[in-house]
Amino acid sequence: MKPDETKPGNRVLPWLALAGGLLFLFPALYSIFMSFQTVDAYYTGTLDFTLENYRLAIGQFHFARYLFNSLIVSGTVTVMGLAFATMAAFAFARFRFAGGNLLFAAVVATLMIPSHISLIPNYLSLARVGLLDTYAGLILPAISNGFAAFFLRQYIRGIPVALDEAAYMDGATPLQVLWRVIVPIARPAIFSMGLFIFISEWNSYIWPLVAVGDEDLYTLQVGLARLYKVNPGEDVVNWPLVMAASTITILPILLGFIFVERHLVRGITMGAVK
Amino acid sequence: MFSRLTPYLLVLPLMSFIAVFTYIPIAASINLSFREWDFLSPTMPFVGLENYRLLLSSHEFWNSVRVTALFAVISVPIRLGLALMVASYLVRETLPSRLLRGALFLPSVTSTVSIAVVFSWMFATDYGMVNAFLVSLGLGRVPWLQDPQLALWVVIVVNTWKQLGYDIVIYIAGLQAVPQELYDAAAVDGGRKGHVFRRVTVPLVMPTTYFLLVVSVIEAFQIFTIVDVMTKGGPAGATDMLVNMLYRVGFTLFDIGQGSALAVLLFILLIALALFKSRVLGRRVHYEA
Repeated sequence: MKPDETKPGNRVLPWLALAGGLLFLFPALYSIFMSFQTVDAYYTGTLDFTLENYRLAIGQFHFARYLFNSLIVSGTVTVMGLAFATMAAFAFARFRFAGGNLLFAAVVATLMIPSHISLIPNYLSLARVGLLDTYAGLILPAISNGFAAFFLRQYIRGIPVALDEAAYMDGATPLQVLWRVIVPIARPAIFSMGLFIFISEWNSYIWPLVAVGDEDLYTLQVGLARLYKVNPGEDVVNWPLVMAASTITILPILLGFIFVERHLVRGITMGAVK
Repeated sequence: MFSRLTPYLLVLPLMSFIAVFTYIPIAASINLSFREWDFLSPTMPFVGLENYRLLLSSHEFWNSVRVTALFAVISVPIRLGLALMVASYLVRETLPSRLLRGALFLPSVTSTVSIAVVFSWMFATDYGMVNAFLVSLGLGRVPWLQDPQLALWVVIVVNTWKQLGYDIVIYIAGLQAVPQELYDAAAVDGGRKGHVFRRVTVPLVMPTTYFLLVVSVIEAFQIFTIVDVMTKGGPAGATDMLVNMLYRVGFTLFDIGQGSALAVLLFILLIALALFKSRVLGRRVHYEA
């Protein structure tokens, strides 16, 4: 047992920590609470709960559609981004080829390049080929992920080359080595990069704002910002409705957070049993 | 065993996407910054440095530079100072510290738009939580987002709330690398807590601080979402950051030339900072898995 847990005074600490955490998260927690209040209850300070705000957000204000769009865009970006990054990482980690170092330097350099520089040119080039206001327009500029390629290349370099060589002896092709040897071993790294890509794409705002004018293609972020800024038919903002929309926007990541925590704990305990 | 083409085929998808959506756009931005175009007219005449001249002589541009620099200079030390203090308490692997770390980290993976919307409500003049609290204390309502003196501070608070958890996690990693013997030695010498913090903790996490400093300054210069949702750069330009100005010039005024010139100037500034980072910190910071 750790010395901390033997001191009787420290029984209180978890509760203090929990209270501190709740206080910090208060704005977010209260926004979720508010999303279940009726509009009247919100303005009069009484307790009266309803699902009406969610019904309105999903139905009349199209948040089911935005949720679907966000899932399509973030899902595709994650899968394609991981595939491209893993393939390139494998090549950079395992093959010596002319120009390889230069290409790898070009990948690493993208970590320094701020994304705003490509905003106007990407908008113009996608407009030229008619891809504004399409899923492809939202997805394509987000796929290449230099950080994931860099991170996975470092990880793959840590895997013993003898494993690859044994597979090549058995007549495997490079793609089979990648798929059957490298990917299973690098799964934890690929998984965390996948989370990283999914979360950043889910929360991405400026590119979807620029690339899409058609409301049917709004992602949650753009839809939420619009709902807040142009609150139709209201003199003042309908806060409970906005908070219901905001809760829909953050919910998948919150649920994912819980899922990932469990996933991590399971991985740790499985490792301990073996 | 396999073709010499194999590695090229493996890197081809990634490299072509990087070329099309990252490198070519840099060249395109530089090219467009020397031209005059409104996105509609059939020609885009070459105008030399005219866009840069107009930009550098406009009050709007210098206001944005001032506001963004002010934001970076105020918010970064607040973030890092708070994060280091909190991290030095949460560095131990106990249940409460892990719970708190989780709570503090959550906002950094949460939607910035949601956070901005929720804080717009917190700081709303009429029905906001902050003003409700002030009124209950017998004080008056404060027009947080309508007062040019206050709006920037609200943006700083919101940004700090969102980013603090990330800074803390990085600091904890830095602190865990500090040998425990140094703290034991300080304790034996009878160092008081504040003293140990200043004389042992702060100097030893200096590499982490340098890293976070540069990363968060670079990030601060790219702030957009919080401002776009909460203030639109107002009131009276008091929160008009560089990327918000870029968005306005490029995508609402459709002044492609001047928008590109602004993008190029910001790009040069950020690359200079990034190069400074890799020069100064390259040896000390690495990401080996």
